[in-house]
Amino acid sequence: MECQFGLSGNGYVLLAASTTAVRSIVKMKHDQDNIKVLGPQLIMSYSGEPGDTIQFAEYIERNIRLYQIRNFHALRPSSAASWLRRQLADSLRSRNPYAVNILLGGYDNATSKPHLYWMDYLGTLTNQPYAAQGYGSYFVLSLLDRYHNPEASLEEGLETLRRCIDEVEKRLVVSQGKYIVKVVDKDGVRVIEL
Amino acid sequence: MQYNGGSIVAMVGKNCVAIASDLRLGNQALTIATDFEKVFPITDRIYLGMAGLATDVLTLRERFRFRVNMYSIKEEREIEPKTLAQLVSSTLYERRFGPYFIEPIIAGLTDSSKGSQPFIASADLIGCLNFAKDFVVVGTAEDKLLGVAEGLWEPDLEPEDLFETISQTLLNAVDRDAFSGWGAVVHVITPDKVITRTLKGRMD
Amino acid sequence: MANADGGAYSYSLTVFSPSGKLVQIEHALAAVAQGTTSLGIKATNGIVIATEKKSSSILIDSSMLDKVSIICPNIGFVYSGMGPDFRILVNSARKSAQAYWKMYGEYPPTRVLTQEIASVMQKATQSGGVRPYGVSLLVAGWDANRGPSLYQVDPSGSFWAWKASAIGKNMVNAKTFLEKRYNDDISLEDAIHTALLTLKEGFEGQMTEKTIEIGIITVPELNSFGEQEKEGGETGRPKPAFRKLTEEEVRDYLAL
Repeated sequence: MECQFGLSGNGYVLLAASTTAVRSIVKMKHDQDNIKVLGPQLIMSYSGEPGDTIQFAEYIERNIRLYQIRNFHALRPSSAASWLRRQLADSLRSRNPYAVNILLGGYDNATSKPHLYWMDYLGTLTNQPYAAQGYGSYFVLSLLDRYHNPEASLEEGLETLRRCIDEVEKRLVVSQGKYIVKVVDKDGVRVIEL
Repeated sequence: MQYNGGSIVAMVGKNCVAIASDLRLGNQALTIATDFEKVFPITDRIYLGMAGLATDVLTLRERFRFRVNMYSIKEEREIEPKTLAQLVSSTLYERRFGPYFIEPIIAGLTDSSKGSQPFIASADLIGCLNFAKDFVVVGTAEDKLLGVAEGLWEPDLEPEDLFETISQTLLNAVDRDAFSGWGAVVHVITPDKVITRTLKGRMD
Repeated sequence: MANADGGAYSYSLTVFSPSGKLVQIEHALAAVAQGTTSLGIKATNGIVIATEKKSSSILIDSSMLDKVSIICPNIGFVYSGMGPDFRILVNSARKSAQAYWKMYGEYPPTRVLTQEIASVMQKATQSGGVRPYGVSLLVAGWDANRGPSLYQVDPSGSFWAWKASAIGKNMVNAKTFLEKRYNDDISLEDAIHTALLTLKEGFEGQMTEKTIEIGIITVPELNSFGEQEKEGGETGRPKPAFRKLTEEEVRDYLAL
């Protein structure tokens, strides 16, 4: 039932994820942060099977960090995405696969470009200007088809993001509650209060 | 096979071959991406296309890149289309009882010292090869592709005519398939160059 | 303390002697040098490999002895040194040729198979608990890519391509002889005769079809379309480029 989406604009990537943790018919939590900061300029939102998400996200987080410690530099977004995909693809054909869907946002300092990757639990990877997962994607994607602008400023991007959140709130039977929003750009990662 | 959708076709022409795929990546009925390529260069004159489960398309692209690189280092030569077809077949059959859910197509020209003969082949998900002299099709629109290709293809087409034939075959077939479409990419391989063009189709 | 020339370094083969030698490999080469002479000559249209077949008693049925071995339709081996070691190598070479066939639908090029078998031999110089193979090999093969080629592989795992080479007891003399007789446009027929003449030098006893063995590579002929004969044909089996000469054929060559 969780919902996450992301969009890139002029020099930044925005990720938004719903903060409600649900178990059966009960809302257990209203302030869950489903966006991990993987590096100075890399963020990942995740959703899926509750136990798997946290386990897998932490595994990814620690290993990306380990790479940074060992090699004195962070993985670039495209490399991080390839490695992450490989982890999911290998997991899929293991004895107990992780059921985690991911959006990966990063800013590549080498090319000064933002990158957003869509990835599902099977290990399907694609680089997109905007992406969404969960039930929200059925409403949000068509909205972004219409309103997304790759040259939009951060303010304009946030405006589009607000439209998305409002649309899901309006059309989806289940209320998603609050969202956590993070942005990554040349200055690093920040949390944004909508 | 229908989870992500996608279709590929390859055709033989006169001293040339063509391979074309659509660009859709879906999640069942929902379209996730409209720029998902399924056809990859293996050497300068051989292309490999894979239709089916997208994660396996990506995994196998890496796997084949590894195996072909190892082959060319060990053998100190480029792989031949026929040999690549066998390699693809064996790689898929290795997973006979837990297969990769893709169907491959190989299109290429043999080494110029062997006369640059056109070569196409397809296989099923466990690597049963199908060598054809005219055209091969795989993917969610394979039934439609087969029908259209049957009607449009003729022997000894020149590169530009082959491009037209394969493009029309693909675009018209995927228009009748909900899981394929959103434009196409076409490669025409000739002895001295590869012509790659991206096409728009009915973008819905 | 181990004696002999290597001293304490002669047993553990993974230990270099201070002079930078692996003494066990040198001993293996000595074992090869005690073996019967084998030789190979590359001709313009093929290759011949030949060896002396010695039996310690006249009571032995020499037709059972196999020193020239077919690995796959396009590759053959001959050896000097220890027979049992050779059989192990032949076995693994045959397996690796079949594995290659399974993967690529064709038999390996000579160079690839040679590399493979050389790496098997190299492993025996670096792993614990084993000894190096007591054989040198001559590998004769044909492939569409490089045509006919002749390789020599030594116990250390090193290998080279040769126009003509000899291994075993008489290798020094045989090589000098080959150097004198070899030229770049020798035909297969001439090469077979040169091979016999070379073997004759320093041959102990009578040279007959029972006491020598010959294997040849013949380059597959092109058909009228300028292509290699279609692989497989009716039976699905490629036409062999390598074959052993029958006793009758050897007798005919000796009679000339």
